Amino acid sequence: MKNILTIFKKEFYRVISDRRLVFTVMLLPGLAIFMMYSLLGNAIGNQISSIQEHRIIMYQEYMPTAFKDMLIANEVKVDIMDLNDSDFDVVKQQIIDGEVDIMIIFPNDFESKILDYATQDNPEILTYYNFTEDYSSSAYNTMYGWLDVYSDEIVKARLDAPEDINPFDMDLDNPYHRLGTEDEASRKGMADLLPMLIIMFLFSGAMSIGPDSIAGEKERGTIATLLVTPIKRSEIAIGKVLSLSLLSLFSATSSFIGIILSLGKLMQSEGNVSIAFTTNEYILLFLVLFATVLVIVGLISNISAYAKTVKEASMLIMPLYFASIAIGMMSMFGGEPSTNPVVYLIPLYSSVNAIIQILVGSVSMATILVMLISSVVYVSILIYMLNRLFQNEKVMFKK
Amino acid sequence: MENLEVINITKTFSLSKKQQRIEKTKTKLKVAVKELSFTAYPGEIYGLLGPNGAGKTTTLRSIATLIKPDTGEIKVGDASTLKDPNGVRAKIGFLTSELKLEEHFSPNYLFTYFARLHGIVEEKIEERKEILFKKFGIDKFSEVKVGELSTGMKQKTSIAISLVHDPDYVIFDEPTNGLDVLTARSVTDYLEELKNAGKVVIVSTHILSVVEKLCDRVGIIIDGEMKVNDTINKVKSLDETGNLENVFFNLVEEAAQLRGEF
Ligand SMILES: Nc1ncnc2c1ncn2[C@@H]1O[C@H](COP(=O)(O)OP(=O)(O)O)[C@@H](O)[C@H]1O
Ligand SMILES: [Mg+2]
Repeated sequence: MKNILTIFKKEFYRVISDRRLVFTVMLLPGLAIFMMYSLLGNAIGNQISSIQEHRIIMYQEYMPTAFKDMLIANEVKVDIMDLNDSDFDVVKQQIIDGEVDIMIIFPNDFESKILDYATQDNPEILTYYNFTEDYSSSAYNTMYGWLDVYSDEIVKARLDAPEDINPFDMDLDNPYHRLGTEDEASRKGMADLLPMLIIMFLFSGAMSIGPDSIAGEKERGTIATLLVTPIKRSEIAIGKVLSLSLLSLFSATSSFIGIILSLGKLMQSEGNVSIAFTTNEYILLFLVLFATVLVIVGLISNISAYAKTVKEASMLIMPLYFASIAIGMMSMFGGEPSTNPVVYLIPLYSSVNAIIQILVGSVSMATILVMLISSVVYVSILIYMLNRLFQNEKVMFKK
Repeated sequence: MENLEVINITKTFSLSKKQQRIEKTKTKLKVAVKELSFTAYPGEIYGLLGPNGAGKTTTLRSIATLIKPDTGEIKVGDASTLKDPNGVRAKIGFLTSELKLEEHFSPNYLFTYFARLHGIVEEKIEERKEILFKKFGIDKFSEVKVGELSTGMKQKTSIAISLVHDPDYVIFDEPTNGLDVLTARSVTDYLEELKNAGKVVIVSTHILSVVEKLCDRVGIIIDGEMKVNDTINKVKSLDETGNLENVFFNLVEEAAQLRGEF
């Protein structure tokens, strides 16, 4: 126990007394996430406000003056151009190219048909817009709305009806129309990206210190100095894994804080987003993160013990790193945790699902327990393997 | 104090593909050390002399319990490397060749770290540190990071660390390799001090002058085999000139002929 502590303290001190490592392991993850989310939030915000400020560029043919006047009276941000100065196909191409937002073509007998509605067919209005362009789609929605209002006006005139022709109202006085809470929305938002980011940062945290701590000993030759001391090989293994785990957990915490801080920006709400995690959820999240860190550190440690140099170790870890990011990405678009208990036996994938469970607030204790217990089992196996590697002269003194 | 006995050890390595290419051989197995025996006595310095790749490091690592010979036995006093590796570890001070201490730490920190792993009590650690740091002139640099020390000071720190537990058996692999004359001298002076204190000292080297000046006994090892093993004077007298260099070259040439290289 004393030896484990000695090893632990030295490995820990190695990192926290190194400004460069403190920055990359503990500050960078949080900072990087904060910047990323903030930029993302700003970008979305900018897009929304630029659409709101954009003046619609619209071509029209035979547009009734009544409708035009209605747009002007309501100060709709639209520049109306006449098609007859231009060619239909040219404007169509301009819509495809994103230079024009919308084209609306009324039939030339539109107004007479409206008036003689009893004897004539309904006139058909043709609209053209580009559904792949945000400005154009939004222009279509706007004009659709106004055409709807225009159609109400026409009906009113025909019926000679009072001001309100709507047979019923909807949700005029219903404060609970939008069910679901801001908290839930925020949680869902977090559950999309966070599991992948957590796995990524746990991994890169462990990756920036693990190889040096283990493969580095071989590369420098200090492994011989360490192995001629009469301490147990398992003590070396446990001491190193524990200290690497604690350090990686710091980087996870840092990413977590970064996310909480920047979530507000992403959600486009000024100030604080209300995410109310319960104490239990915090504890569970911590346990899941810690178990995940242990598994990741166990994997990285074994690879580092096997590799001859720090460089070789980093190279060998890469495929595992990409695989784990891929596992994290699986959660990105589903947002629903798996209910299959077998999933919670698969290292890393179990972590992703457990993290989602906690984030969206639908914890199933049984599966989380499966995840935690299986992780402990995996870590024990990994520590045992690491211990065996330290005892293996072929591996330790590879040429 | 008792002798250190290496009894008939053989060690075979299986070669990786890469190694086969480097050593230009097709054989999968490499006998690094073959039926090698020698005895090192208290109050003497034993020199293991041999060209690169002769098997010196393999022999010393076997003594240090870091690798296990395929056959044979090593006795460090009453402890056997096979039956009681921890007993051996407690008695030996081992300096691996080309040791590079972690640059980020100070000599002070590393000394304490390894002393604790050797199970030395705290007061004793400070006592040993004071003596050894003073001896090697590390005391002025004890809080400077290893990375900022000179090559000589780094090596002296490595040596001090390998002797934290005041071992009776001192096993140094190429301890003066790459050192400037002055530092090399202070290292060999210290080895003589250890010898005079009655310890068993074994050094390996490929440098003849080190053996000539320092060692009481020498084993010349070539291609994993012990060619000569005797007191320095007897070994020198193997050539009529009485010159160690001639003896060494004759043996190297003989071995080359055996391999059919000449
Ligand atoms: N771990 C190892 N794996 C494979 N071959 C090795 C290993 N260690 C040493 N050898 C080989 O054994 C021979 C002796 O090596 P070594 O004991 O290091 O020689 P020396 O220290 O005298 O230069 C060399 O040919 C070397 O390539
Ligand atoms: Mg060597």
